[in-house]
Amino acid sequence: MIFPTDQQLGPGEARTRKRQRNQIIFLGIAGLIGGVIGFATGFFDQGDGSLFAGDWEQLKLPPALALVIVALLIGGLIVLPLWGFRMVDDYKRQHSLIGFTGGCIAVLGGFPIWAALYAGGFVPPPHAFGIFAIAYVAMIASFAFARWRL
Amino acid sequence: MVLIALKNRLKILRAERDWSQAELAGRLDVSRQAVNAIETGKHDPSLPLAFRIARLFDMRIEDIFDDGEHA
Repeated sequence: MIFPTDQQLGPGEARTRKRQRNQIIFLGIAGLIGGVIGFATGFFDQGDGSLFAGDWEQLKLPPALALVIVALLIGGLIVLPLWGFRMVDDYKRQHSLIGFTGGCIAVLGGFPIWAALYAGGFVPPPHAFGIFAIAYVAMIASFAFARWRL
Repeated sequence: MVLIALKNRLKILRAERDWSQAELAGRLDVSRQAVNAIETGKHDPSLPLAFRIARLFDMRIEDIFDDGEHA
């Protein structure tokens, strides 16, 4: 039989199939949350600020929408990654740990380097979104390196 | 600490049973990529996984994995 049902699978194979289903659900929920946040912030944004530029004083959202976005962010950036971390096997968990380590090291080194460069007049002052972006990009790059080069 | 890459007979044992990597992965409850990484020596399995592999093939761990320390 080409496509055995769950009843015809061994316990390990059934767990693997369930994990694959969960991973698809994980990606779907993550994409949905990202889309909702992107749409809501783009459509209902009332201010002139920009996350990228760091002009926080001018960011403005309706308070209720801000709370909804916070709830989505807690789900998308905290709960989902923790759930996903528990779902994967040792091999993929190792890649995730390398990714998280890369992101953490990038912040620990990146912030003082940015501050020193600012003090020297080379760059604008450090701001929160820039630090977040450093962590995020470094995490993705570290993960990709671990996944495809190690 | 000295890291020693383990050699293993996983690919041979799998081939003897005519199992694909995906099939072995399913039996071990790991991803196919994990099986591939172990077979190619890019990843050393955890001790619990090494035990699962040994039990699946009805062998001792040291009959499957070799750290090159014994003659």
